[in-house]
Amino acid sequence: MEQLKRIILKDRYSLLVTTIVVYMAVLMLEGLLTGREARVIDLENPYFDFNVEDWERFQQTRDPSPDQA
Amino acid sequence: MTDIVEARGLRKRFGDFKALDGLDFSVARGSICGLIGPNGAGKTTTLKALVGLSDVEGDLRVAGRDPRISRHKLMEEVCFIADVGILPKWFRVNQVLDYVESVHPRFSRQRAEEILATTDIPANKRIKELSKGMVTQLHLALVMAIDVQLLVLDEPTLGLDIIYRKEFYDRLLNDYYDGNCTIIISTHQVEEIETLLSDLLFIDNGRIVLDAAMQDLENIYSEVLIDAQHYAEAEQLGPVYHRDILGKRAYIFEAVDRTRLRELGEAATPTVADLFVAKLRGANRE
Amino acid sequence: MNSLLPAQFVALLRREVLENRALFIAAPAVLALVLSVFALWAISMAPGEQLAAGVEYLSIMFDGLSPGEMAPMFLMPAIPFIMMLYACVLIYLLNALYQDRKDLSVYFWQSMPVSNLGTVLSKVVTVIAVVPAFYVAILFVVYLLAVTALSLLGLSYDVEVAGLGYMFMAAIFSLFLFYVSAFLAALWLLPTIGWLLLFSAFAKRTPVLWALGVFILLGLVEDLIFGTQFLGNWVESRSNFRQYIVLDFPMAMDRLFSYDMLFGLVVGAILITGAVYMRRFVD
Repeated sequence: MEQLKRIILKDRYSLLVTTIVVYMAVLMLEGLLTGREARVIDLENPYFDFNVEDWERFQQTRDPSPDQA
Repeated sequence: MTDIVEARGLRKRFGDFKALDGLDFSVARGSICGLIGPNGAGKTTTLKALVGLSDVEGDLRVAGRDPRISRHKLMEEVCFIADVGILPKWFRVNQVLDYVESVHPRFSRQRAEEILATTDIPANKRIKELSKGMVTQLHLALVMAIDVQLLVLDEPTLGLDIIYRKEFYDRLLNDYYDGNCTIIISTHQVEEIETLLSDLLFIDNGRIVLDAAMQDLENIYSEVLIDAQHYAEAEQLGPVYHRDILGKRAYIFEAVDRTRLRELGEAATPTVADLFVAKLRGANRE
Repeated sequence: MNSLLPAQFVALLRREVLENRALFIAAPAVLALVLSVFALWAISMAPGEQLAAGVEYLSIMFDGLSPGEMAPMFLMPAIPFIMMLYACVLIYLLNALYQDRKDLSVYFWQSMPVSNLGTVLSKVVTVIAVVPAFYVAILFVVYLLAVTALSLLGLSYDVEVAGLGYMFMAAIFSLFLFYVSAFLAALWLLPTIGWLLLFSAFAKRTPVLWALGVFILLGLVEDLIFGTQFLGNWVESRSNFRQYIVLDFPMAMDRLFSYDMLFGLVVGAILITGAVYMRRFVD
């Protein structure tokens, strides 16, 4: 226990990291237990899976041409 | 009685810089101990560590407590004055008195006011309106009104003019020191305090290079002024330092019996200032 | 720990107020002055009959309503003050454990027998209980002056002004609601208070960048590593503005003992504990 305390309180950085880790752990645990929605914002980025060869197909998914609308 | 300060293996780094590099020392109760060293030697870091204001590695006990853990308990028995004007600038004098009175169980407001009455400090001025000398006077008045076991002073007279400096040490020794409390004072103006000290600690590059009581100095160190023809003889006795004065040389010897030096000249105890230079320069030469 | 004893703790609170006079007292006072001058100017522009009619209307419009029912309407003019309160508290918390390290007065404060716990708690209590009191006091003066001015105005136009006294009572009751709302909002935001104090104690420079940056980083890291957004979700669950205003006593009690409030207090306590230990690292 004393050993643990000495590691956590070694300097300001170790203390900050420990505090934040405990904070996040508590939050995430509570989120899981109370059934919060795990995702709030959809960060999926369509450009991420972009493949240059599929340019044509990609273009079609982004801007549907007028005659298709 | 145990020593009031026991320090073993103190270490502290600021990035790559080693401020304290394995510091060992003790301070006996009732002593007036001077911590002397050049700038950057680690004086301030050491003193701050003693009052829990700097986190250091190693074993440290002050008045029986670890300052890193029980700082606030320790501060009931210990007072600290730093070299910079650390009293909060926006506080008024009487507000500082109010604060310390409410917060410190050993503070006597009456005593503080008595001391302040002997200064020119007006009670309702803000601290930022006071001169540097007055701020130190005020801080000293606060400290002198607290009944403590240990007083830690980090270059308290730095930047003050001579009148304030003299008055500071005057008050400290005559009005305050009663033989029961311990004073640790750091300075690089050695000449000013050497007559006050009972113990000496020299610090350089984060290490203690000398730890002695003033009264023991004459048994350990000797300084002899020697003519040119005897230089060789003097060198044979293994001096730690020499400096040239007016065509002769002053040699400083450590742990050399004075009877052996008698042939070379009159042996005297070096001043603390000369001893300080000797220990520092001498160490670098090896 | 004697810094938790009343006398000592009061001295610590007094320090916070004296040290932050500009944020706690001067800022709302200036706001009150500016708004009052503006209101006076607006009134002076209006023609006399309109004013008389306005005063008459005010003194009778609340007929039949209890002070409790009228009070919420007076939270409207308090809105600029509420915004200023939040801004000032934000600045205060970010500086609370940072400024004295920067100007080195921390070496004086820490040379006193005051525990780190006492120091940090005094700042939390200042935010929760002390700062709103000053705002209430200033708003009280504003309302008093407003009622006096309106009464004089009404009397000069021979309008019935007795109802204004009734309106004033409602205004006073709204101040009570203001204080309770601010108190509860601060408790609700204890995690934020703790977060700001933690980084105020941690940062060697620019605490605001640390507080904000780490928060954003945490959210991204959580998503990247775990694929979850509990942090964002939780923060969002606490940001609903309606949670911050309290309109009557039963509502206040409800708020106080709700699960979300209590969980928030736990989380806040974790962060505040971090700030207390962080206070050891002064240099």
